[in-house]
Amino acid sequence: MREQSPRAKQRHEEPQLGREPRDATHWARYVKTLEGTAGPNVEGRRVVGPLQGFGKMWQKTYKVRLEGASASPAEVVEAWRTRFPELSGFGEKGFRVPAGGLVPGAVALLGGLSGVMVLYSDEESFTYMTPEGHPFSGWITFSAHTDEDATTVAQAHLLIRANDPLYELMMPLGLHRLEDRTWQRTLKNVAAHFGATSEVETRIVCVDPKRQWRRYKNIRHNALILSALHVITTPLRWINRRHQASGIRHQQRPET
Amino acid sequence: MGAEELHGSLHALRGEFEGVRLINRERREDMPQAQVKMDVRKVNDDVSVIDVKGELTAFAEGVLMDAYNQASDGKVHAIVLNFEGLEYMNSSGIGLLVTLLIRVNREKQRLLTYGLSEHYRNIFQITRLDDAIGIYDSEEEAVRAGAA
Repeated sequence: MREQSPRAKQRHEEPQLGREPRDATHWARYVKTLEGTAGPNVEGRRVVGPLQGFGKMWQKTYKVRLEGASASPAEVVEAWRTRFPELSGFGEKGFRVPAGGLVPGAVALLGGLSGVMVLYSDEESFTYMTPEGHPFSGWITFSAHTDEDATTVAQAHLLIRANDPLYELMMPLGLHRLEDRTWQRTLKNVAAHFGATSEVETRIVCVDPKRQWRRYKNIRHNALILSALHVITTPLRWINRRHQASGIRHQQRPET
Repeated sequence: MGAEELHGSLHALRGEFEGVRLINRERREDMPQAQVKMDVRKVNDDVSVIDVKGELTAFAEGVLMDAYNQASDGKVHAIVLNFEGLEYMNSSGIGLLVTLLIRVNREKQRLLTYGLSEHYRNIFQITRLDDAIGIYDSEEEAVRAGAA
């Protein structure tokens, strides 16, 4: 007989009075800022949700029915989590998974530009939350569930705002399309991994058309601007380092 | 193909079909449903309380929005969510609270909570929902803040 999913099993267990809630181990612990990541535009940054961003709030849902596949939702999510760099198309360099894996609180680096923190992770879903400076402020949840006709459905669900005015300006100029293509491709790859070839359904809703103008200052963390400045000022840093090194050599020269 | 062979193939096919039907039935039974109950109380002219009991997940969306529609009937200024009976919440549940908050703000109302355990207070903190949703220790405090 087929086993019940872990969540369904848990639901039928006796209530655990006086103990930690069932979801206690699924959530990341509170940290004021992200530390020990060694990632540019990540280290020392706060994580931000859809309430802290600047632009309009979007709810984007991409889903694919795994027609003909026998995998359970938990099996789909497990494969998705463990093979995330490959299935998302970011690759190992584009999405650097920390040594301990994508557990709650772990921070994965997105190339040299930004990163994401694992906010939540259970058997049938996992969620990333973005840091300040990332193009989006919000959460993205990857999950799988069983549809009414018992077909397993894989889904990516985003609740996001552009983080600052520059990213908001870039949204209609290609950032929206880039985001859509990324997650549609990811879901196609997930389907292909389980031998399904179904089409990806996309649903986009503008949840809040208002821009949060008081958040315009978020631009000071903009990862694109800071990375560009870092590249532009590289020769200056090189000259400065050489100058300092020659100064030290001067000081160390023995007096004659 | 002989009659016996055909009979055998049909038998095997029927067995396979029964197997698939059994798996599908078990999967349907396994399908997550809304494991939540929400009762609405109108405390005074300004404030309505929604008592949340059970699990706050994506499957609670309909129940939560129905409760909100019932609670915001009239000229209510604040909606108070009572989380004393909250047993489980995942990231989709937090997402629901964000969309509820947007609706509440659109109606020029305020969203407040009380009854959050230490664990759920931490979740409100890490997701930064506490920036926008007032958290109180008791119903009296939340209602007083909602009426102010």
